[in-house]
Amino acid sequence: MFSEQAAPTAQGLLSPPSAEPPTFCRVPVSGYSDCSQPFQLGQRSFCRQYAHIYAVRLAGMRPGLEQRARSRWGEDIVLQKLSELQAGEKCCVVGTLFKAMELQPSILQEISEEHNLVPQPPLPKYIQASDELFLEDELQRIKLEGAIDLQRLVTGTILAVYGCEQEDGRFLVEDHCFAGLPPPLPWAGPSSDRFVLLASGLGLGSVSGETLLSTQLLVDVVTGQLGAEGEQSCAAHITRVILAGNLLSQNTQSRDTINKAKYLTKKTQAASVEAVKMLDEILLQLCTSVPVDVMPGEFDPTNYTLPQQPLHRCMLPLASAYATLRLVTNPYQASLDGVRFLGTSGQNISDIFKYSSMDDYLEILEWTLLAGHMSPTAPDTLGCYPFYKLDPFILTECPHVYFCGNAPHFQSKLLQGKEGQRVLLVTVPDFSATQTACLVNLRNLTCQPITFSGFGADSED
Amino acid sequence: PRRRRRGPGRPPGRLKDKKDKDKKDKVQVKLRDCPRAPSQPPLDPALLEMLRRFDLSWEYGPCTGEHPRLSRLSRWRRAPPDPPLSPRCPAGITRLQRWERAQELGLSPPGPIRDALLEHRDNPDVTYRWVWVGGTG
Repeated sequence: MFSEQAAPTAQGLLSPPSAEPPTFCRVPVSGYSDCSQPFQLGQRSFCRQYAHIYAVRLAGMRPGLEQRARSRWGEDIVLQKLSELQAGEKCCVVGTLFKAMELQPSILQEISEEHNLVPQPPLPKYIQASDELFLEDELQRIKLEGAIDLQRLVTGTILAVYGCEQEDGRFLVEDHCFAGLPPPLPWAGPSSDRFVLLASGLGLGSVSGETLLSTQLLVDVVTGQLGAEGEQSCAAHITRVILAGNLLSQNTQSRDTINKAKYLTKKTQAASVEAVKMLDEILLQLCTSVPVDVMPGEFDPTNYTLPQQPLHRCMLPLASAYATLRLVTNPYQASLDGVRFLGTSGQNISDIFKYSSMDDYLEILEWTLLAGHMSPTAPDTLGCYPFYKLDPFILTECPHVYFCGNAPHFQSKLLQGKEGQRVLLVTVPDFSATQTACLVNLRNLTCQPITFSGFGADSED
Repeated sequence: PRRRRRGPGRPPGRLKDKKDKDKKDKVQVKLRDCPRAPSQPPLDPALLEMLRRFDLSWEYGPCTGEHPRLSRLSRWRRAPPDPPLSPRCPAGITRLQRWERAQELGLSPPGPIRDALLEHRDNPDVTYRWVWVGGTG
């Protein structure tokens, strides 16, 4: 699509250069507003328990779920709390799911010396057939069984179940429902083609330098230094670049220096120092030409718990001199030209992947949108800040573009909702593994991958 | 003989004070009262009872957050070390934060509680949840 638009209008690569070298102006930035204030933590205090975040999650999502339950199972259904349940009576209960998994890594088991157990190695998936599902509300919990897909669900999801309590104290589920798609946002997108480039997992600082050429090609395409005039004029329609996490490679997290004696590691430099310098140079090239939003990821030098705070600008001295560089949080929400973007660097999706039977990243992304919560497994298995007033991961409005970074492949889907919601779901692939980035067209909410490779067939589209 | 320098902080040794040395080495078990401005009047027990009932009512959300000084006192046999815990790091949430959260979630917490909390906001017995710190702690 990108090159096809270019081909009919301009000269190709093997034609003599035009007399006057043409200049292409990048489309001006209009209507950018950053909406990630709920993810920016000011003063942080960790002296709090996680009971608060679960309580506000349930209290915040309960009204919407009760409304959904009534519209699905009838206006006259009985909504009850677990403490009011009577055996044999059909009713609907809203609560938080808890999945008891035997294989779930437990720090208590790992440090328990009397068992003399070797801590289990990290597994790709921790699900087992013997897992059990419990529904918890403010006071009690009850075991669930019946028409509920145990393997698919994860801890921390808020849902409504319809069924009745059995004599043995278990709840037999006949049907269940989630919060559903959030209410839609008004559409105010641009009328001409405007592109946003989504890339993630640049993986700088890795041992092999194979992706450096692809990264440089990516930068050259965006800054208009590659391709004939046709491609360059198309590249001028890219209004923004969003780098969704994992700018540094996992190799930069050298854990072995922690265990070594201090005198051995005194003169060694952390691997991330060189990698951040490389990142600074790449960002400098990009920032001179296009606004860039940089989100931190799992291996980047920022805090571990979600929401990850922006990288500090002192690490990027060359690039932060430009106002086009924006260091943003993970998750990130912004309104670009009237189109609302919401996305993460992929930690929430990969955590759900580990504890659920769902295999497809796009399926998990869609499921989080339908469940109304970006990351239900936080804080159980994914580190999270102990919020107490409100849970910022609850989806209150339906974004137009919902993405997650560092996925194994590129996938995209346009989801249509009953209330007129239109969401483009994009799983941005890991650039260091796939050399693929995504171009989102804001006019018609379509997405295409763009792959870069050093040798081989075509390098674009 | 060369005069040995004693370390800093040690008083010049004098033979006459030797009898006091034994008493100084013993552990001073001195539980300090919760540091409070002496001019504050003692609180109305009915008010404390109302606040305690607010803490224990589950409808307004979880209540964690003991007074940072009291919770530390229970673990110390000696006097707690100075300086006291930074006021910017409370353990859990204060009663006022819990009240305001309940208000924002639409759980309609009773108004008189907020008035009482604001009126006595400088009294740590009112601000934080009261916890029984008995036993070995």
